[in-house]
Amino acid sequence: MSTEPVTEDERKKNRFHFDRHTPEYRQQFADVAAEMIDKCPVAWSDTYGGHWVAAGHSEVFELARSAEYLSNDHDPQHERRGYKGISIPAPDVGFRGGFLEMDPPEQRHYRQLLNPYLSPAAVARWTPLVDEIVRASLNEKIETGRIDFVDDLANIVPAVLTLAMLGVPLKNWDIYVEPVHASVYTPPNSPDMPRIMQSRIAMRDDMAAQLAEIRANPRPGLISALAQAEINGTVPPDFELLGVISLLIGGGFDTTTALTSRSLEWLSDHPAERERLSAGRDTLLDSATEEFLRYFTPAPGDGRTISADCEIAGQQFKEGERIWLSWAMSNRDPEVFDNPNEVDLARTGNRHHSFGLGIHRCIGSNVARMVFKRMVTAVLDRMPDYQCDPAGAEHYQTIGIIQGMKHLPATFTPGPRIGDGLDETIARMQVVVDEQQLAAPVTARRGAAEVR
Amino acid sequence: MKVRVDPERCQGHTLCAMIAPEIFTLDDVDGHSTALDGEVPADQEAKAAEAIRSCPEQAISVIP
Repeated sequence: MSTEPVTEDERKKNRFHFDRHTPEYRQQFADVAAEMIDKCPVAWSDTYGGHWVAAGHSEVFELARSAEYLSNDHDPQHERRGYKGISIPAPDVGFRGGFLEMDPPEQRHYRQLLNPYLSPAAVARWTPLVDEIVRASLNEKIETGRIDFVDDLANIVPAVLTLAMLGVPLKNWDIYVEPVHASVYTPPNSPDMPRIMQSRIAMRDDMAAQLAEIRANPRPGLISALAQAEINGTVPPDFELLGVISLLIGGGFDTTTALTSRSLEWLSDHPAERERLSAGRDTLLDSATEEFLRYFTPAPGDGRTISADCEIAGQQFKEGERIWLSWAMSNRDPEVFDNPNEVDLARTGNRHHSFGLGIHRCIGSNVARMVFKRMVTAVLDRMPDYQCDPAGAEHYQTIGIIQGMKHLPATFTPGPRIGDGLDETIARMQVVVDEQQLAAPVTARRGAAEVR
Repeated sequence: MKVRVDPERCQGHTLCAMIAPEIFTLDDVDGHSTALDGEVPADQEAKAAEAIRSCPEQAISVIP
């Protein structure tokens, strides 16, 4: 990739004022995406100290797969080149966010360590347990005819499953759920922030206690793998491992919650499509899931740092420059997706970027798909006529980090409980996890959970 | 028609196996895909083509 010398102005001739952290960006998202894709698929924005923004599908595709020129490294202590990781602007914290803020070979060591817990075969073992948590969550509301799909379903199931896979007691889910979600949607200047910081400290304390406990009394799970890890020939310090655990929790919770709530809201607004999906789920559920992933793009993008002067996708970049790869905008590129701003449950050729691309492809993608499908099909079965209440539906004010919802209340024709409630089920599933060593890697334990 | 998954490009998105499970097998440990070794059955060719179109990494190709 040779680089012809050009002036700064020439290099940055495509300019666009891009601020994804404003409410206006959420309101105008489809227009912003269309304009950038059409006029400046890679543009320079002066926001947040200046950074590139990639919006076009082919440009994002090429950039995201150029790990030799794009670094994920976050180096707050300036031990290497001082790069700022995947958030733009970078948060003012002294640690990096797990292997998503690392480059190979370190990043690869972590992925290889955790893959046997998160592969399709590993994840399939958990489906019966997920069905139990979904059933019990719906039981809590099924007789009343009212549910908040965020609070009462989509917040609970991903959290309980993520903790189970980590090797953390399932009943601790409510220590984790509030700080993880609230940290994403609460503006830094909110009067609620001190309370959320308190809940984050409680979560951090529990994470550290779990790591210590699992070291002392080993039990299987992702944390156990990390506790025994040797990365690049050295044992990582605890703060590094806590960063990895935080990444797994952050990735496991809010993203799937966002996808589920947005999809359930859309299905409520499109009852004929909901019936079509429910009746045709054997052939339609996979493509519908990919389409909801494309259209709602729960995690809308990732930042990178250019690690060497280069030219990619026709654009010259300089070492040290920051770039935002917009999965969300590239998922609306009409070159790849016909009628990109419409949901087509049977869409084909759906090369969406919602799990990222290249070596950093979301390691939890198999978990996300499975949990989403089990939650949605259970709602279609037990609350087939649910109607969301637009007055109570509350979207995140901004979509810079996660395109999620705080609340999604709905009403439906009440139905009967099936089996036990949530607390009893969680206690029973803890026994299943422990006795069947469910959180062991798929290389050590293969069969599906037996939950009855 | 024969197809091949480039192991250097595949990142384990799993769409191919979702679309054409008779043609693509996912590794138990990392979920990366391998294509059937041999001729794609005629009744599976449309699914194989759709898997090629849908691969986010464009890792699947038809081999002569």
